[in-house]
Amino acid sequence: MTYSDNIRQVIDEADVALFMKGTPGLVMCGNSDRALQALRRAGAPVTAVDILADPRIREDLSAISGWPTIPQVFVKGELVGGADIVEELAESGELEATLREKLGDGYESRRSEQTVSLV
Amino acid sequence: MRVYQFRHIREPRIVAARVGASGLATIERVGTEPLRALLASAFPDATELDVIDRTGGGDHFQVVVTAPSLHGLSLVEQHRRVYQALAALLADGTIHELRIRTKGAT
Repeated sequence: MTYSDNIRQVIDEADVALFMKGTPGLVMCGNSDRALQALRRAGAPVTAVDILADPRIREDLSAISGWPTIPQVFVKGELVGGADIVEELAESGELEATLREKLGDGYESRRSEQTVSLV
Repeated sequence: MRVYQFRHIREPRIVAARVGASGLATIERVGTEPLRALLASAFPDATELDVIDRTGGGDHFQVVVTAPSLHGLSLVEQHRRVYQALAALLADGTIHELRIRTKGAT
């Protein structure tokens, strides 16, 4: 069995998908936390997936995205980047601009955090 | 003009001691050099190329690359170029954590 279909579904359907180590409630890695905090500051509606639930989630995810590291952030199906990029975009204000462009004005009112389990 | 900025935060750690044919132990040092060499080869036009061992442990690195060849690329694409350059060291676990800062020089 493979997680690829479920991963693709999360990427395609979530406004903002965050593949991370741990969950927003219990973050297991500093870089995942950096990405989460940047998304929170931008008021993003976050759908999180804990890749630590099964090592194969990460393998399948990286095969799909071509991105070797965790975390990975997608907005409306498009890879925005890892912790460094998301943090950089948040600092410059580009993250909010991207979210507004892709999710519409007032996206902040839908600010939320949910966790999806693939296992 | 090319200006390369290299700097060490700490000395590279000693990762392995091997006993050679002579019976004497030789010490292998893995520091920032392998990363620099790979990045310099992938970005021969770099105006800034910096590798920092963030923890002194030889596996948490921060790299900074500014190069005209990155100009006009998205940050995702710029970081992909860096990952590609360092793919071997990422795959074999030499790099445990990598922070990237890139800029397309004009």
